[in-house]
Amino acid sequence: MSLTKNQVIRFSDLNVKFVNEVVEYGAKIFGKDAANTVRYCVQCGTCTASCPAGRRTSFRTRQIIRDTQLGFKEGALTNDDLWACTTCYTCQERCPRGVKTTDIIRTLRNLAVREGHIIPEHKKVAGYLIRTGHAVPIDEKTKKLRVKLGLSKIPPTTHKFAESLGDFQKLVKKLGFDQLVGFKEGTR
Amino acid sequence: MRIGVYVCHCGGNISEVVDVEEVRSFAGKQPGVVVARNYEHMCSELGQKLVVDDIKEYKLDRVVIGSCSPQFHEPTFQKTLSGAGLNPYLLEMANIREHCSWPHFDKPEAATAKAKDLVNMAIAKVRLNDPLEREAMPVGNRVLVIGGGVAGIQSALDLGDAGFKVHLVEEAPTVGGRMAQLSRTFPTEDCAACILAPKMADVAANPNITLLTYTEIENIEGYLGNFKVTVKKKPRYINLDKCTNCGICTTKCPVKVPDEYNVGLTTRKAIYVPHDFAVPLKYLIDEKACLYLTKGVCRICEKVCPGKAIEFNQKPEEIKFRADTIVVATGYDPFDAEKKEEYGYGRYENVVTALQMERMVVFMAGGRPLRDLGKRIAFIQCVGSRDAQIGNEYCSRVCCMYAAKLSQMLKRGNPERDIYVFCTDIRAYGKGFEEYYKRAQATGVKYVRGRVAEVSEDPKTKKLTLRVEDIFSRQLLELEFDTVVLSIGMVPSNGTSKIADMLKLARSPDGFLLEAHPKFKPLDTLIGGVFICGCAQGPKDIPDTVAQASGAASRATVLMNKGEVDLDPVKAFVIEDLCDSCGLCVEHCPVHAIKVSSVANVNKALCAGCGSCTTYCPKGALVLRHYTGDQLLAEVKAVLASKNEGETRILVFADYTCTYKLSDSVGTSRMPYADDVRIIRVPSGSAITPKLMLSAFALGADGVFIGECEQKFSPYPNAVEQIEKNVSTVRGILEKNGIEPERARSTVFATVMLGGFVNQLNALSKFVKEASSIPPEKRGALDEVLQQEGST
Repeated sequence: MSLTKNQVIRFSDLNVKFVNEVVEYGAKIFGKDAANTVRYCVQCGTCTASCPAGRRTSFRTRQIIRDTQLGFKEGALTNDDLWACTTCYTCQERCPRGVKTTDIIRTLRNLAVREGHIIPEHKKVAGYLIRTGHAVPIDEKTKKLRVKLGLSKIPPTTHKFAESLGDFQKLVKKLGFDQLVGFKEGTR
Repeated sequence: MRIGVYVCHCGGNISEVVDVEEVRSFAGKQPGVVVARNYEHMCSELGQKLVVDDIKEYKLDRVVIGSCSPQFHEPTFQKTLSGAGLNPYLLEMANIREHCSWPHFDKPEAATAKAKDLVNMAIAKVRLNDPLEREAMPVGNRVLVIGGGVAGIQSALDLGDAGFKVHLVEEAPTVGGRMAQLSRTFPTEDCAACILAPKMADVAANPNITLLTYTEIENIEGYLGNFKVTVKKKPRYINLDKCTNCGICTTKCPVKVPDEYNVGLTTRKAIYVPHDFAVPLKYLIDEKACLYLTKGVCRICEKVCPGKAIEFNQKPEEIKFRADTIVVATGYDPFDAEKKEEYGYGRYENVVTALQMERMVVFMAGGRPLRDLGKRIAFIQCVGSRDAQIGNEYCSRVCCMYAAKLSQMLKRGNPERDIYVFCTDIRAYGKGFEEYYKRAQATGVKYVRGRVAEVSEDPKTKKLTLRVEDIFSRQLLELEFDTVVLSIGMVPSNGTSKIADMLKLARSPDGFLLEAHPKFKPLDTLIGGVFICGCAQGPKDIPDTVAQASGAASRATVLMNKGEVDLDPVKAFVIEDLCDSCGLCVEHCPVHAIKVSSVANVNKALCAGCGSCTTYCPKGALVLRHYTGDQLLAEVKAVLASKNEGETRILVFADYTCTYKLSDSVGTSRMPYADDVRIIRVPSGSAITPKLMLSAFALGADGVFIGECEQKFSPYPNAVEQIEKNVSTVRGILEKNGIEPERARSTVFATVMLGGFVNQLNALSKFVKEASSIPPEKRGALDEVLQQEGST
C-alpha cells in the first residue's frame, strides 16, 4: 500500500521486515556495514535539503528512508520519485549519521525492478541495450563525427562485431536481465 | 607443612550435589594435610571458629577452604587467618559451588570428582604460598590541579579549604576558562562573570593554593604519593610588583591583534590585561605580537611606564615541585566551525559562532553593540556534534540550552527580531531545562525540525540563505537571514590531549578522557592518584562540571586524608640472581613500572600486577607473587592428577577481573557446561607463559583456554595482545609436534557474556572429544621441547 492522507496506519498495513530485506539485499552490493546504516537515520532532513534533484522534483530522500524504516514497502518501491535521484552523493556526503543514503536508494531501485516496478523510459533503455549492446546506440550524427575525428565510422564494439552482440545477448538471457526488464523479442 | 582443609556444605548448595564427605576424606589423605573437616556453613561464626581453633590445636600453617567463590568469602577467611595469627596469604579457596555444584547440579558424580580436583589444586597451591605483607605507601597532602577553568577552580578551592596544599596550574594568563566568556548561564540566566569572578578571586586569596597562571606543564613523572612535576612559567615581561595597573602602556602600544577573549570580534594591544576581572589582574606583553620582541623595534611601553615595570629581559622560569595526587581539569575547546564548509563560517561575514554571540550579547547589554545583527537571526544546531562526517558522533549536551538562552535573550532585547532555531531535535534533559525551552518558545523563538543542509551568501547584500527541510510538513525551505549563529559543540582541548599523553591516561573513542569505571569510578582514572573532572572527561554544563570537580577533589582527599594506601602484594618480583639486566621487561611493561640498573627493579607503586613481564623474561627472573610459575604449574599438575584413561580435561585460565567473575555468574545462573572443564584463577591471562600452556598439554590437558577481560574494562593495558601472541606461539609449537593447534584458545570477555562463555567452553570440550586424544609420545615430545628450550 502507499501512504494516503488521513489514513490511520496499523501493523497490518506495514511490512515491518522490509528494512531487513533492504539491508540483506544492499549487503550483497555495498557490504553489510553500509547497508545497515539505513537503521541509523534520525530524520534530520539534511539529505532532502541537500538534494539537487529535490529542488526540481517532488523527490524527498528522507521520506524514502522513513518508508523503508517503518515498512511502507510499496511506498518506497513504487514511488516514481525513487528514480529522480541523480546519484550525485551529496546527501551521503553530508549525512550526520553516516547513512549511506545513495547506496540505499540504489538498493531500493534494484528491489523495485526485481518486483516489477520499472518506468517506461528505463524499459526503453534496457531494450536498446539488449538489442544493440549499447544503452545509447550510435546514430548517424555520431558516425559522421567519428569520421571527422579520424576514427572508424563504426566503433569496435557490438556495433561492429555481430557475433559479440550474440554473445552479449546470450549473457543477458542467462542472467535473466531480459525477463527482469520485461523485454519482448521484436518489440521496439 | 601442616595444612587444614575445610569442605563447606553451604547449607545444601554444595552438599546436595557434591559428596562432601568423600571430598573431605580425599583431602585428608593428601600429603601435608593434618586435619580435614566438612561443615554446614564455613562462613558462619562457628565455622570460622573451627578454623581458628584448629590453627591453635593442630598448629596449622596453611588453610584450604572448599566453598563458594573467593569473590565472596576470601576476604572473610583471610581475616579469620589474620585473627588467628596466620598470614592471610597462606589461605587458598577451592570454588566448589559456583564452579562445581551449581553448573553441574545434574551430574553429582562428575561434580564430586571435580570438587576433589579443585580441592587438590588448592592444596597444591597453598603448599607453595608465601606469607605476603601489604605494604603501606605514604600519601602526603600535596595536590596538583591542572587547568584553571571553573572545574579546576572548584577542585582547588575544595582541596585548599580542606587544608591540602594545592598547586593550580593554568596555561592562560588568567584563571576563569571558558565560563568567563559566557554571557549568562542557562536556565537561571545568572550573569556568568558575576558568579565566577568571586571564585576566581578566592583562588588567588586562598593561602593553601599556589596559583601559577601563564604556566605550562612541562613534565610529570612518578606515581601516587610521589609525582614529580616540572612547569614552565612564561615571562609576562612586566614586573608585577612595580606595575600599578595604570594602563598608560596599553593606550600607547601601537600593535593591535584580535582579542581572544572576545573571540576575535574586537582587538587588543600587544601589552594588555586579558579582561577586567582577570585573576591575577596584571598586565602582560604578548611576545608573538610585540614589535620589540618580534622585530627589535618600538619599546614605547618601556618609555611611558611611570613605574618602570617593563622588563624585556625576563626569561621563562622552570619550577619543580612534588604532588601526591593530581586532578586533571583541562576542559574543552570550541569546535572549529570552519570544518563545516557548507555553513560558510570564515567566508561569510554574517555567520558567527555561538561563543561569538555570547560576547555580542554582553556588549549589547552594555549598550555598545558590536554589530548590527539585522532583523532575522537563525541558530543552526549540532555544528560539530552528532556528526559522523566530521568524526564527532557525540552530543555536546549544552548547545540546545545555550541556543534557548541566546535566542530568547535576543528576542527579549528586540521583540521585532525573527528568531529561528533549526534542530534535529531538542535535548532538554536537565533540571529546569524543559521549562526553559518552553520559555524560549513563549518569548517568540520559532523552532524548526530540520538540519540545515547549507548556507549561501548573497555577495551584494551579504544576506544568508539557509536550505532546510521542515520535516513535519515535508516542505523544502529556503529562508533568508541577516545573521546565522552556529551552535558549535565541544572537542577535547589541546591541553587535554597533552596531559593525557604525559600521564598516559586512556581516552574514549570521542577523544575525551576515559574514566576508570563508567558507573562506580567516574572520576578516577586507571592511574592511581590521578582524577578527572569537567569537560576534559566529556561535554557537560556548569553544574555537572562543578559537581564533578568537587567529586574529584573528594576522591583525592580520600587518599590524602588517610595518609597512606595499602599496596596489594600481588606484584612482579625480580629474582636478582637470575636477572641479566637485558631490559626486555622494561620495554614490554604496559605501565612502565620496571627500570634496569644493575638488575631489573619493579616499582611496586606502579606495578599493576598483571604478570605479563613474567612471560617475556628469558631467564625466568621475573615472577608474580602469589601466582608464580611454580605455583601455577603445581595447580595444573594437581588438577590433572585424577585424569583417567579415556577422559578429557580442559584447563581454563580465567582473569580475575572479568572471566572469573563471569564464570561465577554462569554457576549462579545454573548454566551447565562440559564437566571436563577446570577453571584456574589468575590476575590476568597475560601471566600465562607459553611454557605453562605447553606443560599443561604435556601433563595431560586436552585443551587450554585463556579468558581475558575486554580491554576497556581491564586494569592491565595490552593484556589481550600479549595473550594472543602467547597462544599463537603455543599453537605453532603444537602444530610442529603434530597436535591440533585449535586445542589452545583464548577469548576476550566482559562479565555479562554468560552464554558466550558456556558456548566457547563447550565448543572446545567437543573439539577435543572428537579429535583423537593426544598420544603419550606426542605429550612426551612436548616435554622434550620444554626441556630443550627452557623458558619459551
